[in-house]
Amino acid sequence: MAEATLRTAPLDKARVLQWLQTYGVYAGVALLLVVNIVITPHFLSAENFRTQAVQVAPVIIVALGMALVIGTEGVDLSVGAVMALAASATALYLGYGLLPALLVVALFAAGVGLANGALVAFVGVQPIVATLALMVGGRGLALVLLPQLEDLRNPALASLGSGDALGFPYLILIAAGLALLVAFVVRRTTFGRQLLAIGDSRPAAELAGLPVRRVLILVYVACALLAAVAGVLATARLQASDPTSLGNLMELSAITAVVVGGTPLTGGRVNIAGTVAGAVLIQLLTATLIKHDLPPSWTQIAQAIVIVCAVYAARGRGKR
Amino acid sequence: MQRTTHRPHLLGRPVVVALAAAVALTATACAKSEDDASDGKQSGSSAAGAEQKAVEQKPGSKTCTIDAYGAEKLDLKGATVGFSQSEKEANPFRIAETQSIKDEAKKRGVKLLTANAQSQFSKQITDVQDLLAKGADLLVIAPLNSDGWDPVLQAAAAKKVPIVTIDRKINAEACKDYVSFIASDFVEQGRRAADQMIEATGGKGEVAILLGAAGNNVTTERTKGFKERVAEKAPDLKVVFEQTGDFAREKGQQVTEQLIQSKPGIKGIYAENDEMGLGAVAALKGAGKKAGDVKIITVDGTRNAVQGIVDGWISGVVESNPRFGPLAFQTLDTFTKGEAVPQDIVIEDGAYNTDNAKQDIGKAY
Repeated sequence: MAEATLRTAPLDKARVLQWLQTYGVYAGVALLLVVNIVITPHFLSAENFRTQAVQVAPVIIVALGMALVIGTEGVDLSVGAVMALAASATALYLGYGLLPALLVVALFAAGVGLANGALVAFVGVQPIVATLALMVGGRGLALVLLPQLEDLRNPALASLGSGDALGFPYLILIAAGLALLVAFVVRRTTFGRQLLAIGDSRPAAELAGLPVRRVLILVYVACALLAAVAGVLATARLQASDPTSLGNLMELSAITAVVVGGTPLTGGRVNIAGTVAGAVLIQLLTATLIKHDLPPSWTQIAQAIVIVCAVYAARGRGKR
Repeated sequence: MQRTTHRPHLLGRPVVVALAAAVALTATACAKSEDDASDGKQSGSSAAGAEQKAVEQKPGSKTCTIDAYGAEKLDLKGATVGFSQSEKEANPFRIAETQSIKDEAKKRGVKLLTANAQSQFSKQITDVQDLLAKGADLLVIAPLNSDGWDPVLQAAAAKKVPIVTIDRKINAEACKDYVSFIASDFVEQGRRAADQMIEATGGKGEVAILLGAAGNNVTTERTKGFKERVAEKAPDLKVVFEQTGDFAREKGQQVTEQLIQSKPGIKGIYAENDEMGLGAVAALKGAGKKAGDVKIITVDGTRNAVQGIVDGWISGVVESNPRFGPLAFQTLDTFTKGEAVPQDIVIEDGAYNTDNAKQDIGKAY
């Protein structure tokens, strides 16, 4: 399909770029699927797709929150730290049972989100700086609460991580549910509209009388809560709480997924389907390189190329 | 922070600090983790029979004496020893290492001053300078980096304080800038892991390596030793997969999941630390494999991994001994008495397999 469009269109750079911007990520996923089916042994199996989906689920969940924040022309660097904090808090409160532990995790995450949102909305700190503070502080707090990896044996938590319903692992169902929910919020609710309006122009949104501060705080809280969900799920899957390494560099994976998925960093637009596809694209790329036993440095280079392509396509849009 | 007069514009910082402390306190005050009821945790560092021994010195290896170094003789008993730890005691290795130094100091009746650099090199430099200022007669250093030690070495040399470095080396002249370096031989650990792998798999088939963090000397040396020994002793054992798991459990799990998808016939996995090995176990469990289907060999010797052998999921663990206390103090004792000590001391690492895991699990850290 990609080539057909390219050939029929006259040499219209802008249109090609626009097409790439909108559909490039899906074309990339399709291309990787085809290539893998041809060259990777045992790729075409339910087991394999299950593995890829389970591995990408936490990234998708974090990226959803990140997409919302980026939609307001912000960025949240603290998502990895929130995952670590969620892991610590889960281990610390699991003695009361899974549900109370999850409530405490939500409290912690909401706290971080509130701090982020308050710094951005009320104090007027740049999002990148505000969330950088919480990124450092959040992981620090996670390590104070739980200085080293702890194994968890709670059966409810274990089934959350590795159980399934109708053959679909809970992780995948939760990620899919959250993606639909976030897409609905962005497209169909007042909150979603306000969020995008703020991303388009915060002064204009303020002049129009939108509750800018409230919306910003809610967006950062939502992002932190989503990151906490991802942290709990990753912990459940590992059956161990590992605040030292859980969520390391997750902020970069999430931003990559969002940007590759066609959401501009300049705010005002959020592409949820693209974000999910962006995360899947990076996952498939990594899987391909690992399965063919290529050096890990290649994965980083390949990711860089994908990001550059995505940013190039986005640049074309920005000019119009 | 010491002052008690509260001027309004100074309130900001204390409030923030107090708030952070309050969060940490309230968060832990009513915490209840799974293990609270049956507190099965014990610090394995003081376990009996886990003494550290040095590997026999090769004839002709360099030694160092107190005269050559230019320090003065003293009695270790009653001396003050400064210990500078590099990383936060947040992993079993560092916990066991610090504990071992503390235990041995207590046993020998030595006054011990400790400092922890929390993975910040600049802090470690000031830590050691502080230890010197506080009157340490001897220093044991677990360096964070190999380079950048000149200011400390000069300060120590001015006070004629002998230095022993453990687990990582300082790039400086032995017997001039420091006395001895005590550590494991990581290449040898790789070789011994290969021996265990050959035994577990019968020397045939395809195996995978979960590499440690890239650009780390532990990773390169453990890989080198493993591959050398496999090539030399079991040419039929093929390393078909080498991917990094960054020494972390989650990454080990993810990479292993990809591995068993694309290479279902894999017979063994060599994980360059216990955490990645345990991640591999989680991945195999998730994929519905049975214990022992894939032979896993790991390096480190933490309690969790040795428990893995008892449970049947891990075939062998090569130990990387963190208990530097006895050997470090033994070296200092010999040295300060005026006798010669080797410049490079290699610790003897143990090993766990199905034969000894059950009775030796108490030795694991």
